[in-house]
Amino acid sequence: MSSIEEFYSLEKDKEYYRDLLEELGKVNEKLNAFNNINEGLSSGFPFSAKDNLCVKGVESTASSKMLSGYVPPYNATVVERMLRNKFGFIGKTNMDEFGFGSFGLNSQKIAKNPFDEHYVAGGSSSGAAIATAILKYHVAIAESTGGSIATPAAFCGVVGFTPTYGTISRHGLIDYSNSLDKIGIMARSAKDIRPVFDAVKGPDGYDSTAVNAKLNSNNTKHIFVVDQLIELVDKRIRAYFEALLDKLSSMGYSIEHAKIESTEAAVASYYIIAMAEASTNLARYTGFKYGLKNDNFGESYNEFFTEARKYFGDEAKRRIILGTFVRSASVKEKYYYKALKVREVLSHSMHEILEKGFILLPVMPVLTPKIEDAKKLSPLETYKMDALTIPPNLCGLPHISFPYAYDNGMPLGAQLITSKFNDYALIDFVEEWEEEFKYVFKYNIGAVQ
Amino acid sequence: MIIGLEVHVSLPTKTKLFCSCSTAASEPNSSVCPVCMGFPGAKPMLNSEALRIAVSIAEALRCKISERVSFVRKVYFYPDLPKSFQITQLYEPVGKDGLVECYDGSVVRIRRIQLEEDPARIIKAEDYSLLDFNRSGMPLVEIVTEPDIKSEESLRAFITELMSILYYLGVDIEGEIKTDLNISMAGERVEVKNITGIKNMIDAARYEVRRQSKIIEGGGSVISETRSYVEAKKETVSTREKETDEEYGFIAEPDLTWYDTKGITRIEPVYADKIAEGYAKEYGIDKKVVLDLIMYDRDALRLIERTKGAFGMKTIINGIEIVKKYGDIGSEQAFKRLLDFLQNGGYVDAAAFEKIKKGEKVEGNVIDMKKIIDEARLLLNDKVKEDYKKNPKAINFVIGKIAAKYKMNPRDVAEIVKRIIDG
Repeated sequence: MSSIEEFYSLEKDKEYYRDLLEELGKVNEKLNAFNNINEGLSSGFPFSAKDNLCVKGVESTASSKMLSGYVPPYNATVVERMLRNKFGFIGKTNMDEFGFGSFGLNSQKIAKNPFDEHYVAGGSSSGAAIATAILKYHVAIAESTGGSIATPAAFCGVVGFTPTYGTISRHGLIDYSNSLDKIGIMARSAKDIRPVFDAVKGPDGYDSTAVNAKLNSNNTKHIFVVDQLIELVDKRIRAYFEALLDKLSSMGYSIEHAKIESTEAAVASYYIIAMAEASTNLARYTGFKYGLKNDNFGESYNEFFTEARKYFGDEAKRRIILGTFVRSASVKEKYYYKALKVREVLSHSMHEILEKGFILLPVMPVLTPKIEDAKKLSPLETYKMDALTIPPNLCGLPHISFPYAYDNGMPLGAQLITSKFNDYALIDFVEEWEEEFKYVFKYNIGAVQ
Repeated sequence: MIIGLEVHVSLPTKTKLFCSCSTAASEPNSSVCPVCMGFPGAKPMLNSEALRIAVSIAEALRCKISERVSFVRKVYFYPDLPKSFQITQLYEPVGKDGLVECYDGSVVRIRRIQLEEDPARIIKAEDYSLLDFNRSGMPLVEIVTEPDIKSEESLRAFITELMSILYYLGVDIEGEIKTDLNISMAGERVEVKNITGIKNMIDAARYEVRRQSKIIEGGGSVISETRSYVEAKKETVSTREKETDEEYGFIAEPDLTWYDTKGITRIEPVYADKIAEGYAKEYGIDKKVVLDLIMYDRDALRLIERTKGAFGMKTIINGIEIVKKYGDIGSEQAFKRLLDFLQNGGYVDAAAFEKIKKGEKVEGNVIDMKKIIDEARLLLNDKVKEDYKKNPKAINFVIGKIAAKYKMNPRDVAEIVKRIIDG
């Protein structure tokens, strides 16, 4: 039984939502999961929306100071579909500004790991993962561009599902990199992901890239491991991952090894494409029509918007500058076009393997870092942390992250990748995994006694 | 002198290029939505009717049509541009490598035709500006020519021809037509940007040619620069922009996929010029007379097409001219009654026109040819005949006087007068 079915079967007293929100408010002060909580929640199975999803009448900032005070006049399609299916909106979750980050540090309030507040929650969908880890009955609508669902899901010990690019409408998603952004779902069990995915997927009259594809569940007993990528991983993680492979063997899966072309260029390719697109998406924030407003109209337009753009965080500024550079005429061939080519080669190479079976990888090359340590990483060191999550994300492939071990009480996540539109096979797999492995949660806000 | 043009025309669609906002609103900022205001999260959806019209234009201008068209983001910062980028085309525009054959025999090659969105309208006041986003996202087609125009007359011929082709495709030529002119007299290229309307375009070209000629004659050299046209003074002024290659950082528009053009049903083009030429040859009439009638008048063309077997072409042309003078004839039947009346030697004034239109009988209004010839002979005295030998225009006053008195077509009167002089 999914926890959604369980939730509706439970007897709840009149004060249920009030008590839930009160407790959530307290924990949130500690962990910074939510940018805002819907105090009016009074019915339905709770769902949260990452703060880059527009919710009508609710401040939606993508955790950017630039958008502070911006209240969208419309709902993102995914939010609209959740509401139509009687889910109850509980709030907007914290994230790295515009999705720019892997650890949840690039926000006005640093997101903290629910297992230990000294550790990062992962990013950029930090709040979505924390909310899932602390709320007993809840699903999170999150978004991944280069690993923003799998990473925080792994660090916070929840299931993170990133479907095939284009299966969930992006209408109302505050853009980071349009050709890479994918809306996905986090939950405490794959069983909860299935009905939510059913409710929100499908074409949309407001997004040309939302496709009307038949989604499959072609299960396979073949799992491929990519050694070039495993080599990048911390030794301690490798030991846990080996144990996972043994366990899967005992469950009847055959473990094979495969090589993917161009993985060494994947991180660079991803950041070039993502930054190029991001720099065009962020061009609209000129302190003029929405969000933070600059009232100094006496200046020339160039001076006027330059002043406003000081409100971007450092990582946003870095990506605007680099993104503008890589698409400039003199170097476009060398960077942007080459990055597109790498994406093509990598997609082709991964597709060949995925025709034969799943690909299984750890999510992160390191154990959950402490906040203080993560802060010390240079931008390049941080970007390299995405080496394992970028391949499926760059190629628009569906993948699911699930907890598979605990190291000193901190969860570890692995990600299973499949071919485009075979999304349901991932949910099936993790449901099977959950028969064998019990997840640990430190908080259970909203549990009914 | 070499002139190249970039012409922007608005397309007659009911909704904007990438959203469902109406294109017909008049109250400022009343037809806007998250898409055309560039709100975070809103995505463009291509208006397929706009694509159909753009493809039809490209085909009518004999372009190669891209099998698949795609869009790009052109990034620049200006207050009228809500996303700080314009969605336009670069790699796979609607059409490339076309040509326009003008009525004066010149040929202007078309480099490319692209579909793009219009920015908002800026209304400049004394010390502030207002923005009207009703125009933001309106569908535009940009037509870029090769630098093939070599005289003011050719410029006029090209634009007239182009407007006629667009008119017959249903593109509103009454609306604002924005042009950028590239003019070079001796190598250095001067761009005159954002000229509104055809008259201003020709005036700007004339001014710029004169300005550059003067500089060259004076031994100076023309600076390659961007200028703008000041309508009130009828002159161009330097915009004092740095003359560097503008850096737009084009990238593919990732929110739009690509669009197949093969299945699109094109609007059939009409080349008024070619039709007029055909009539001129077949019926031995002046091509220019017919062309003037049908260039921007699909009703006139239809009436000619429907009556050309049954009536003489001269009568039909007279009939069309009368219709243009007195207004809508109503039906094809009424037009045929008008032609019958003309063929039977009638002349038409406002009252007769109304009666013919309603199908009532017209009493009188019969041209007395003998009386006209007598009167013409009287006016054509020896002095006039003598003057006529030196200057053919000398008989114009005779023609004018008779045409006015007998409500006749001056062309018909001219024929009578010339016959008298020739004996």
